[in-house]
Amino acid sequence: MDLKAFEQRIESGSRLNVDEALQLYRHAPTYWLGRMADGVRRRKHPAGVVTYIIDRNVNYTNVCVARCNFCAFYREVGHSEGYVLGFDEIYQKIEETKALGGGQLLLQGGHNPDLPLAWYEDLFRGVKARFPDFKLHALSPPEVLHISRMSKLPVPEVIQRLIASGLDSVPGGGAEILVDRVRKLLNCYAKASADEWLGVMRDAHQAGLRTTATMMYGTVETDEERLEHMLRLRDLQDHTGGFTAFITWSYQPEHTERGGREATGIEYLRTLAIARLVLDNFDNLQASWVTQGGKVGQLSLAFGANDMGSVMIEENVVRAAGAVYCMDEVEIVRNAEDAGFAAKRRNMHYEILGDPFFRAHHVPRTLELSTAREAGDTSEPVELVNYPARSAAGKRQRSQPPASPVA
Amino acid sequence: MSINTAIADRARANEALTAAELDELATADILSLGMLADEVRRARVGDVVTFVRVGASGAGAGEAGEVRMTSLPETLAATVAAVAQAKAATGGSALSGFSLADIIDRGWGDLAGVLKQLKQAGLGAIVEAPLDRLSNPEAALQACQDAGITVQSLSLQKPNAEGRTPMLMQARALAARFPWLTTIAPLPREQSIAVPTTGYDDVRAVALARLALPGVPNVQVDWTQYGPKLAQVALTFGANDLDRVSVTDDETLGRRRTSLEDVTRNIVAAGFQPRERSARA
Repeated sequence: MDLKAFEQRIESGSRLNVDEALQLYRHAPTYWLGRMADGVRRRKHPAGVVTYIIDRNVNYTNVCVARCNFCAFYREVGHSEGYVLGFDEIYQKIEETKALGGGQLLLQGGHNPDLPLAWYEDLFRGVKARFPDFKLHALSPPEVLHISRMSKLPVPEVIQRLIASGLDSVPGGGAEILVDRVRKLLNCYAKASADEWLGVMRDAHQAGLRTTATMMYGTVETDEERLEHMLRLRDLQDHTGGFTAFITWSYQPEHTERGGREATGIEYLRTLAIARLVLDNFDNLQASWVTQGGKVGQLSLAFGANDMGSVMIEENVVRAAGAVYCMDEVEIVRNAEDAGFAAKRRNMHYEILGDPFFRAHHVPRTLELSTAREAGDTSEPVELVNYPARSAAGKRQRSQPPASPVA
Repeated sequence: MSINTAIADRARANEALTAAELDELATADILSLGMLADEVRRARVGDVVTFVRVGASGAGAGEAGEVRMTSLPETLAATVAAVAQAKAATGGSALSGFSLADIIDRGWGDLAGVLKQLKQAGLGAIVEAPLDRLSNPEAALQACQDAGITVQSLSLQKPNAEGRTPMLMQARALAARFPWLTTIAPLPREQSIAVPTTGYDDVRAVALARLALPGVPNVQVDWTQYGPKLAQVALTFGANDLDRVSVTDDETLGRRRTSLEDVTRNIVAAGFQPRERSARA
């Protein structure tokens, strides 16, 4: 392998094809990949700034019919641990987020058959009525598809209705690996095939929304399939330019049906670096400290990442699979600065909002991320009776008065 | 900032770098520093990564290469008795224990005499000598030598990036004075929950230890304390030994589980050859 020739090609901005990328991913020394990725990061972000966002990662329900075998978060319909957050609970979380300097919710959840489109519309309108400037980065492509299927409305129409209710942008969750062979093995093909996931993103971009893109690796896929995933994202980005960022993380195996082992830290850094080289039309790559920990999260900044992601405040999904890391704004800023960067707050569009919030405001330290609810709280929000349930369990539940109303 | 090539050449030639040179290396960009440390490490000790599975005293040795006592009793008599009891239960595995600083802090009198008693009771080695806790490291290590008992590693109790270079210079002098000192554990034993050391801090400390100590073959990372991800990355920054791999395969430990499969998988994925070792005594 002629690394010098690759070096010249990458530095001149030439695009890697799949064979070249595979060769580098498999055989290039880790430091070489890091140096190349760091060079591309420097060219795209010459000011030496590392960004992050203050937002809250809220999972509005854990009830899900998709049954992906890599997920430890979901509960089946009718399960005693299933929950749906009430509107007032979500408004309260927004209040708490604003107090920490946040301006957005990352709102995602299970494919709950008992939450119709109107529930999402009412929630979004309720948020915007109370917090007009607050942003909703909500509903990954499989959730949009789920709503589309339940409501029997085409995806573009669902997106338009969600935008009209207050949707600001779409998170890139549920991509896993955008290869149908892999998706079938992970039991996530039915929730969204690779084409369907990309189709929702295309529709969202055409509707004027910006979105992110993700990749969860380390289950059953081959190296070639990881690169195929990246190339499919690159192709769509060439057409729409709608992706703001790419985020990759390793599969978290604990408490999942699939089980197995987690990919190593070195594999993460190599995957991040090759993504920086392949995804030449993506400006921003996030460090996944929530799966890799703060230390490898910080080292990601030397392997192509230019963004520390979100302070999260709350996290439920990877926690369920064994990852329990926490970085509040103080820690994110300290790590970015320790690595030699200026740390700046941003919004979902990667527009700089300013210097660290905690430097101008009193913000208590957070050493552990919050959860959706206190353990064991399965109370039913009162407003759910206003929405028709589809499942038998949901119909039974809604025919009875709520046991412990939230609001 | 890139690496000063003259300093890099001196490091490659196993020359003793000055404090000023180490300070300059500490400001180099993290990837260049790591590449140099990795190159020097491969030249000095090859591509083998050693690891030791450590069992707790009282839990049975099992497949442990070493049984380690961590809790130091209040009196010398109780300690001697505990060592003897642990040794009897090790089933032939090497028995190590304690921090040299903890033993000194007990104030049990003549240190060499105390260490001789512990050795006679069955203690094979002192686990560590934390340089930032020893007021007179040379005298303490001389007492170990006089007692005929080794110290498995020079270590650091608390994070102190500013004091790193003096500590490394001190470690180099001690290793020259006591050639049986073959291991340094440069990452601090204590971590603040609110302000832990950063990933850059940690791998920089590992790389500088590798470059500063040509006479110390082993740069060690604690697998249990630092976890598989950081420990694995540290291997590519000059570390070549993983300490405190658990002898039990306890799934309740979650992501920090330390099974033989996990440690060997991480070593191989980092591009090295795993080799299980016994205790250093």
